[in-house]
Amino acid sequence: MSQSETLGYIEPVGKSAAKRVMARERSWRQILDALPFLIPGGVIFVGLILYPIVYAVVMSFYRWDGAGSDRTFIGIQNYVDLFTRDPIFGRALLNSFIWVVLSLFIPTLWGLTLALLLNRKMWGRALFRTAFYLPAVISSIAVSTIWSWMYNPFLGFINAVMKELGLNDYIQQWLGDPQVALYAVFAAYVWVATGPNMLLFLAGLQNVPQDLVEAARVDGARPLQVFRFVTIPSLRPAIIVVIALTIINSLKVFDLVYQMTFGGPAQSTQVLATWTYFQAFSMHNFGMGMAVAVVLLVITLIIIIPYLRWATRGDDK
Amino acid sequence: MTAVPLVETKPRSKRRPQKIALETVLFVVAIVLAIIWLIPFLFMIFTALKSNAELFSGKAYAPPIVYVWENFTRAWEIGKFQIYGVNSLLIAFVKVPLGIFLASMTAFAFSRLRFPYQRVLLLLVVMGTMIPVQVALGPVFHIILDLGLLNTYGGLLLVYIAFGFPYQVYLMYGFFRAIPFELDEAAMIDGCSRFGLYWRIILPLSLPILATLFILDFVGTWNEFSIALVILQDSRMWTIPLGLMGFSGYYSMDYPGLNAGIIITILPVVVVYIIFQRYFIAGLTAGAVKG
Repeated sequence: MSQSETLGYIEPVGKSAAKRVMARERSWRQILDALPFLIPGGVIFVGLILYPIVYAVVMSFYRWDGAGSDRTFIGIQNYVDLFTRDPIFGRALLNSFIWVVLSLFIPTLWGLTLALLLNRKMWGRALFRTAFYLPAVISSIAVSTIWSWMYNPFLGFINAVMKELGLNDYIQQWLGDPQVALYAVFAAYVWVATGPNMLLFLAGLQNVPQDLVEAARVDGARPLQVFRFVTIPSLRPAIIVVIALTIINSLKVFDLVYQMTFGGPAQSTQVLATWTYFQAFSMHNFGMGMAVAVVLLVITLIIIIPYLRWATRGDDK
Repeated sequence: MTAVPLVETKPRSKRRPQKIALETVLFVVAIVLAIIWLIPFLFMIFTALKSNAELFSGKAYAPPIVYVWENFTRAWEIGKFQIYGVNSLLIAFVKVPLGIFLASMTAFAFSRLRFPYQRVLLLLVVMGTMIPVQVALGPVFHIILDLGLLNTYGGLLLVYIAFGFPYQVYLMYGFFRAIPFELDEAAMIDGCSRFGLYWRIILPLSLPILATLFILDFVGTWNEFSIALVILQDSRMWTIPLGLMGFSGYYSMDYPGLNAGIIITILPVVVVYIIFQRYFIAGLTAGAVKG
């Protein structure tokens, strides 16, 4: 340090070289200062997040049962098989797509409606918020068990109410019918996913400038116009977060499907996250399972990164 | 906000009856929606208190005529919830502080220190929040197996810490950055080391976010299912969610017992949630929806 300083002082022509030496020394110092803070968490992050992803990508090019030492490199054969010979993968892909699209509309708009309702001054407002958020704090297995019981064909709540309302045509095996099961599981997901969206929108609504709302009203704006031109623009950050989280969470849905239908009946409720698990762990096609995982990862990143870039454009000044 | 009504007294008082009517209607709507929303819970509680005979003879949605509290004691014994409960508590009490400690050190380095490739590395960590757990689950199983940590709490803790890490770093990074940087300079001039700055200045000033992460992470760890499913194979090691899965598999015909079992397992988190509500809301919205 002192040497390079002297150099720079005596010889102004060599300043840039000296600066470079100084800069290099400084960055080494910075690294040494930061390392003790970075290493403990960094080792775990690299070892159990980054390395597994690389491992998944590599293994997706192999045929391996996941247990023996017999691994064969087969290039992109797993991917070819997935898209040409695995009808259940097609089903899982479609189901994940349906899940994302439905999630983008139902728990989001429903959460927004509840947020608008509970943003008003109202007796017991905190209690209502608690009620709508409560399903989000209990474990997925509890949600699955409760909803499987609701759907029980003989003793469950839903068929009993259908019978009472005279809707006998709708009495059915909710989780046992390949046409219906996916949507039945999705209903349980809506029950869980709405509360967090509501809270995010409620937080966003606190940023709506009240003086602007008043000004619009004084100028004769109708409530709907106030909502469209004042509330919605102020909610933009909340909307972006809700949409991003909705996409991420819908693509990784696993617990409810695994617990409520185990992917059935007749594999009709398989989604990408469950299919990678069943391929890798139940059917002992580890390579195929990893190929599904890679497809899931690529889809997630392909949607989320451009979306976040688009959504946050202009935010960094 | 408080000053506005003074200015606006006249037009408001004219619309009063209409406004009160609207508010009443909205209140009733909120009550009806909340009751519908809570039906699964009510149905669960009703079932948990019925006898098997009443379950099969009565209407499914009717409240119990005779309250059978004995369902709970039976569920407690059959479900072995005391074993799973101790396991879950043990894991949560080690994982939560340790995970937050490691994430806070990383967040400190990213927010208060300067080093090369800082932005790229931070981006890499933040990208970790978007990766579905299931993508890494298979490889993680083999890594834990190779480390000889399969079926151990050590292995489970490592994986839990790793998967909680990106989001926690992201949240704390945002919070730490909002602390004035003059404090760092003042502390350094007074001879404070970097660790001292982290431990004695940044962490104490970050108690709100730390409390939020503690509560959120506790509930998240208590509820976690898929990672535990892969790592813990011996049923004596199971956590509460796996125990409940086993319970619903083996005793699937004992519906009152099963529902009593669910209530036993969710009661702790529901109580924690109701006491610490504002931390949940803070954690969900921190850094996410500030305009």
